[in-house]
Amino acid sequence: MREMIVSELTQAVQELARGFARFLPRLIVLVIIAFAGWVIAYLLKILARSILRLIRFDRLSDNAGASQLLAKAALPPSSELVSRFVFWVGWLGFILLGISVLGIFGLQEHIARFFLFLPRLFAAMLIMFLGLLAASFFSRAALLAAVNSNLPSPRFLANSIRGIIIVFALSMVFEELDIAQQTVLVAFGIAFGAIMLGLAIAFGTGGKELAQRFLESRLRHRHEEEKNEDELSPL
Amino acid sequence: MPLKQDALWYKDTIIYQVHVRTFYDSNGDGIGDFQGLEQKLEYLAELGINAIWLMPFFPSPLRDAGYDIADYRSVNPGYGNLEDFQKFLNSAHERGIRVIIEMVLNHTSDQHPWFQQSRSSRDNPYRDWYVWSETDTRYAGTRIIFLDTEMSNWAWDPVSKAYYWHRFFSHQPDLNYDNAAVREEMWSVMKFWLEAGVDGFRLDAVPYLTEREGTNCENLPETHAILKDFRRRLDAQFPGRMLLAEANQWPADLRPYFADGDEFHMAFHFPLMPRMFMGVKLEDRKPITEILQQTPEIPASCQWCLFLRNHDELTLEMVTDMERDYMYDVYAGNKAMRLNLGIRRRLAPLLDNDRRCIELMNGMLMSLPGTPIIYYGDEIGMGDNVNLGDRDGVRTPMQWSGGWNAGFSSADPESLCAPLILNPIYGYPAINTLSQRQTPHSLFSWMRRMIAVRRSAKVFGYGSIDFLYPANHRILAYVRRFENETVLVVNNLSSAAQAVELDLRAFKGSILIEMFGRNIFPRVGDLPYLLTLGPYQFYWFRLRRI
Amino acid sequence: MLEEVSTKKSVAALRTDVKISEEGLLTDDFVRQLINVGEVDILVGLPTYNNAKTVGPVVAAIQSGILQWFPRDRAAIINTDAGSRDGTPEMVVGASIDDVRRREFNRLALRTLHSISMQYGSTVARGTALRTVLSAGELLQAKATAIISPDSTNIQSDWLRDLLKPICRDNFDLVLPTYARHKFEGILVTNLLYPMTRALYGLRIREPYASEFAFSSRLGSQFLAQNQWNDDGAGEGSEVRLTLAAITGGLRIGQSFLGAKNHTDRHAADLVPALRQTVGVLFWSMDPNFLLWSSKTGSQPIPTTGAEQEFTHDPRRVNRKRLHEMFRSGVAELASVFQSILSAATLEELQKIAGLAEEDFHYSAELWVRTVYEFAAAHHKAVISRDHIVQALAPLFRGRALTFLMENRNSSADRVEANIESLCLEFERLKPYLLEMWSGKK
Repeated sequence: MREMIVSELTQAVQELARGFARFLPRLIVLVIIAFAGWVIAYLLKILARSILRLIRFDRLSDNAGASQLLAKAALPPSSELVSRFVFWVGWLGFILLGISVLGIFGLQEHIARFFLFLPRLFAAMLIMFLGLLAASFFSRAALLAAVNSNLPSPRFLANSIRGIIIVFALSMVFEELDIAQQTVLVAFGIAFGAIMLGLAIAFGTGGKELAQRFLESRLRHRHEEEKNEDELSPL
Repeated sequence: MPLKQDALWYKDTIIYQVHVRTFYDSNGDGIGDFQGLEQKLEYLAELGINAIWLMPFFPSPLRDAGYDIADYRSVNPGYGNLEDFQKFLNSAHERGIRVIIEMVLNHTSDQHPWFQQSRSSRDNPYRDWYVWSETDTRYAGTRIIFLDTEMSNWAWDPVSKAYYWHRFFSHQPDLNYDNAAVREEMWSVMKFWLEAGVDGFRLDAVPYLTEREGTNCENLPETHAILKDFRRRLDAQFPGRMLLAEANQWPADLRPYFADGDEFHMAFHFPLMPRMFMGVKLEDRKPITEILQQTPEIPASCQWCLFLRNHDELTLEMVTDMERDYMYDVYAGNKAMRLNLGIRRRLAPLLDNDRRCIELMNGMLMSLPGTPIIYYGDEIGMGDNVNLGDRDGVRTPMQWSGGWNAGFSSADPESLCAPLILNPIYGYPAINTLSQRQTPHSLFSWMRRMIAVRRSAKVFGYGSIDFLYPANHRILAYVRRFENETVLVVNNLSSAAQAVELDLRAFKGSILIEMFGRNIFPRVGDLPYLLTLGPYQFYWFRLRRI
Repeated sequence: MLEEVSTKKSVAALRTDVKISEEGLLTDDFVRQLINVGEVDILVGLPTYNNAKTVGPVVAAIQSGILQWFPRDRAAIINTDAGSRDGTPEMVVGASIDDVRRREFNRLALRTLHSISMQYGSTVARGTALRTVLSAGELLQAKATAIISPDSTNIQSDWLRDLLKPICRDNFDLVLPTYARHKFEGILVTNLLYPMTRALYGLRIREPYASEFAFSSRLGSQFLAQNQWNDDGAGEGSEVRLTLAAITGGLRIGQSFLGAKNHTDRHAADLVPALRQTVGVLFWSMDPNFLLWSSKTGSQPIPTTGAEQEFTHDPRRVNRKRLHEMFRSGVAELASVFQSILSAATLEELQKIAGLAEEDFHYSAELWVRTVYEFAAAHHKAVISRDHIVQALAPLFRGRALTFLMENRNSSADRVEANIESLCLEFERLKPYLLEMWSGKK
């Protein structure tokens, strides 16, 4: 009996050792890949930072209003953030690659899915960024137009436009990332429809008098403005 | 070739204006003569002209190139005698060339026996043959024609101790046409020459025959009555002969000289001529079309006489002040060229010897409605001499060759009636008939071909004219029509190439046949007809529906 | 019949043949008309859009000016129209003098005068209108071209002489007008365009943006060749660009006094478009011409025929309260925008004066100049959209206009001129500040 146990143990240890001996090179490969990945990721980070500086990404980000958001969150500037992101994504990618070398069953599928997810993540980030840029541009355009036309509440108008565009962008991001797509779509539809319906009801019935006074005051304001119009031309 | 019997011969003739004195000297005395002219009829026949207009050849002190006549029934001895004239006339007729002579009705030389008689005494029978006055205030306001030399239309005669009326030089007293004897005598003079066989008269200075107080003494009804009387007698006694009016007037004022076809047969279209020159300088047809738009219709038996240059200055009387200033500046920058509200230059120097422009001007001359007149020497591009007095610069001897005295005379050069043109550009070694007759592409050869084409179509002499008004104002285009002949003439007045679109829809379906080369051009369709023309180029197209 | 056909065809072409030929700007029909016009010495360009009420006398004055002052020159009038529906092009085309239209004044005209028209689009685009005239002028080899505004209701025939003779006879390349204006008219010109152009480029051009001006073929060809027609709104602000092209090209510029300016130019009344066409273009010009303007100090007068400027001071209705309100609200509402453009010190000062009551309000010359220069620098760096930068200047300009109105309320013409001159000197004095802002040292 004892010999059997010893023999089994020995066999088991030998198996273990053989398994370990088979696993160890893969582990070493993983470490090597991870290390190489770190180096490459670091280089990519530097490259990304240079490219972003070249295209004045920080300024674009300022225009988009993203810099202000990041500053509030005590995060580093946009270009630095993106380059760090590039570093971590790159290194993570290499690590996952190394892990896939280990041959752990089931993990490979998840790793593959992760790599497939990456382009959509980038696309979503780009959409968001462009959305922020557009929101900033159009809200500022609206602000300037409203101020120069002497409309009331120009900032409210500008912020409304900014909000609408950001909401648009967000919904596109969620759609791109395939996160709660139906939910977002329906929610957006309901919210948008509700706002429109609400405005219609407000102006049509409940706010009838308000609307009437508003319109009257606008027209009178315009008329008074015209009555008080300068006889001057700037040119 | 005997003369064709054609009552309307003057409508389709090409007239050559020549001065016997400076054309050809046959006897070596330095003065041209009739025998010489007769010898050169062969040259004129080669050129293709079929009528000669002779400048005055009567005895004269020659203080106005023979327009100051001292004897109406004779020939200046320097040019020959009556017999020579008759021989020349007969030879011309044999070659099919008609002869038109000057008849200066308005005035005579102060050397004429009539004036000598008239001034001698107030009782002389010829006293009333001229217009005398005790004062120089009659007919006030009448314009002076020779502004550069005359201060008044009245001249004081120390012999007669009275003033006499003269519209031209003071040595050319005006005849008094209120006197029937004058009228009869002048008809008698005309009859004398008509019986000799002349085919017509250029009646000089006709607007001024009569004077009336309170008028401008031009174009008076009395004048027209006298002229109509002459015409009546001419038609009755000498049918087929022609009267040509020299009346420097606006077209509307010229119209009465045609009356109902019972006054003059022809009249010079004076206002058109300067406008042709203006048109090519401005590169704009406006001056030309506007004066022709103002030109009234004339009776079917009548004809305008067109010319580019003549023995007088290029007159600028019938233009506005602005137009005159422009013409002076562009054509007579040297003030020595200006005379009596005109420019005393020949055709070629006026056009800076630009052959293309000379051809264009002759092309218009030959294709506009009227009888064209070529001034002697212009067919070879002769030059002028502004250093000679009065208008003598354009009356220099004809240049026949590059040899002795330009082949004009065998006399000593110093004894010539007028100095020759010597400069390298226009001088006789460069410009002469001998070399040009031998050169197929000389101006003479071109003129000869041009005249032949012109004579090949009756439409130019007899036809109507309808202007096309293409949007390109540098193009002067018109259609001439007569019976079944239709000719389209297109002239580029610009020194640069031009493109023009012509509205020829009225001639849709016609083929254009260019008349010089006789090549066909595309058929007229619905679209505007596009033509391109080189600098100063012109086309004559016969339109045929085939 | 032929006359009717040719007239009807050209008018019909105005309506239907708008399609641009494959070659580009000039329609085929217009090119045919140019062939008919041929080479000219003088060209007069008349851009229009529904100006039937005013264009008649303008065209008559142009015609009269040509006949009187340039009777021997080959001339043509070119109308570039934006799709008028009130018969404006027909009125201009009717000014032709030729042997087809037989009229009284034909006798006064030595030559044919063509008056042709082309519809370049269906909306007003001043740049395209000018470019059409430039292109036509180049094809016609025009030695001198004048542009006349179709609503200059008090135009005289002498204007053509005053604009064109310096080009034709004295070899100038650009002749700009000077006017007798009301002291409160054209504040954008007197308080910004004139002094800043003067400070930048060293030339005292009173009206860098003009409705009437004349230029030589040399300047026209150079300007046409500059490939700026494709960037923004069909060449906005072409008038100022032309002036700048003459300045930067070292060409000869002069001025001619034309008299009273009496335009009903609708475009000039709206401040933001006016800013775009003028200040926007001026800022834009600074980038490519940095080496030129950065080295200039001081300024020189330019040859002027007649008065350099005249001011009238008849009573005019001015809504000062509105100006003050718009300045205040502008400073408040656009704070976030101004933060990107202005320095902290300048913004703080502006916010301080925005808090003042109307009677105490004062936007000093020095502050104004700093404001403008900081805007110019921000435009150069494109801290935000450049068009937004130009728009953001509008409320601040209103504040400056208010100060100008109040300062010169009771001033004589000489006093007004002195105040403007003092502002100009301030612009010149603070030019080093502009250079510092430009290079980012501040």
